[in-house]
Amino acid sequence: MSDWSKVTRPIPVPNEWTKPFWDAAKRGIVELQRCQSCGHFQHPPYATCTRCVATDLRFEPVRGIGTIYAYTIMYHTGDKRFAAAVPYASIIVELDDAPGALMAGNLLDAEYTEAKVGRRVEIVFEKLNDDVTLPQFRLASAE
Amino acid sequence: MWENRCKVAVSGVGFSKVSRTADVPLAVHALTAVKEAVADSGLAMSDIDGLATYPELPATGHAEVDGISVVSVNCMMAMLKLPDLAWHIQVGTVNIGGAVQQAVNALLAGMCNYAVVWRAMHNPRGTYQNLPSGMAAGATQFTAPYGFGGPGQGMAVAYTRWLERHNQNREKMATLAVTQRRHTQHNPHAYFYGTELSREDYLASRMVAYPFCLFDCDIPVQGAVAIVLTTADRACDLKPTPAYLAGYGQRLHFEVAGRIGSLADYMEGGRSSAKLTWERSGFGPKDVDVAQIYDGFSASVIYGLESYGFCGEGEALDFIQDGRIELDGELPLNTFGGSLGTGRIHGLWHIIEGALQASGRAGSRQVKDANVSFVGASAPIVTGTTFIFVREPY
Ligand SMILES: [Zn+2]
Repeated sequence: MSDWSKVTRPIPVPNEWTKPFWDAAKRGIVELQRCQSCGHFQHPPYATCTRCVATDLRFEPVRGIGTIYAYTIMYHTGDKRFAAAVPYASIIVELDDAPGALMAGNLLDAEYTEAKVGRRVEIVFEKLNDDVTLPQFRLASAE
Repeated sequence: MWENRCKVAVSGVGFSKVSRTADVPLAVHALTAVKEAVADSGLAMSDIDGLATYPELPATGHAEVDGISVVSVNCMMAMLKLPDLAWHIQVGTVNIGGAVQQAVNALLAGMCNYAVVWRAMHNPRGTYQNLPSGMAAGATQFTAPYGFGGPGQGMAVAYTRWLERHNQNREKMATLAVTQRRHTQHNPHAYFYGTELSREDYLASRMVAYPFCLFDCDIPVQGAVAIVLTTADRACDLKPTPAYLAGYGQRLHFEVAGRIGSLADYMEGGRSSAKLTWERSGFGPKDVDVAQIYDGFSASVIYGLESYGFCGEGEALDFIQDGRIELDGELPLNTFGGSLGTGRIHGLWHIIEGALQASGRAGSRQVKDANVSFVGASAPIVTGTTFIFVREPY
């Protein structure tokens, strides 16, 4: 299993568009940007609704459960900060409540070989420092 | 059909030495390629009155220094001192294919008579994707904390989705890598000219970002290539047989920065670009005699073959088997070796090969009776452009 204890992750820098996402993550909640006109969830946040181009967008909580949409297993150690964890799974997840809104993460607490397209995963939160908490994923407990 | 079909042609082409290390400044590579392309056309340098390029270094965390890591129009003009320069441009959003398309438009509009387009690529010292900061700002805030660094991982995630959705096996990609490397042995300008690759080599090679092994990724190199474009009537008077441009397209599908892994984005990008190219040229995938499809990462060829319409979705790894992409196959593919054979110079070399095949000038790798020559000049998702060159301007 990947040893993440020696990995120094780049720290996300929230901006005016993305701050509500990171504020929610700090509280242990996933909030994604939702179009108030057509109901579409999107991620990463954007200036307008990517479906209907409405401009009234708000962050709303979604359940932290979803499916692996795609993944890669990282072997390359070019980025020394991640070298200690190689090989590890970086995954793209589609949450049940937000079809089409793709969230990146690592598959934690599992062998990298467990990453498969279609596998069920759930959100866990990894505190990076006092300001930033990172949404991450692990295999879903039985539903 | 396009009213300007076959009214512009590629004439001369030129190449610098391709090497791993920057033993001379990049400007010298670019100058060599441009001089060779102009000489190949039989023109004097003073005839050139149009310049276009895409001056970009795809590596992360390295300074862009003109003449060293990029070669701008300004840098080229300072070297050439063209007496009659009438038009120039550097494109920002459509990679080198966009620079070629802008030169075509300028020629059609009468803004210049002989345009040179070059692509110069630097290989910086040290780590290629050099991520210097401990902070992830902008679009990277949602990707970099999880280890997503270079473009390879972004394409790798879409590739796993393609493989598993279509129940496919990455080992079939060995056919692409091995066939292209065999084609490379007919291209003396290529980095891997003289170095063979076997199926066993491919299957035993180390993983970089699964499903990509080392031989799914083009090797970073230092080098430059160039072409001369002119109007069809002028091209007829020049030394080389012209390759006429029957049509071109750009990708029209856009997605939000920072969103990665979407297979649909690649497919929509490729479909929109190819649709324009088929409509303008009057040809369809079945008419194509030879194809060059951008292969900076091998999976890009899959997305290209499927989204351009050469085969159905989920079929590309089967499509490339059984000799179909050999020089004498049904669809000879990346006949110059592709980026996997030449090294990372981006799509201008694909465009050059598309033109050389159409004009019958591809030497020992010439595809017999090649009239309709297709080019997909970059990954369909971000900067996709497509072209068709023909030998017969009808
Ligand atoms: Zn909407």
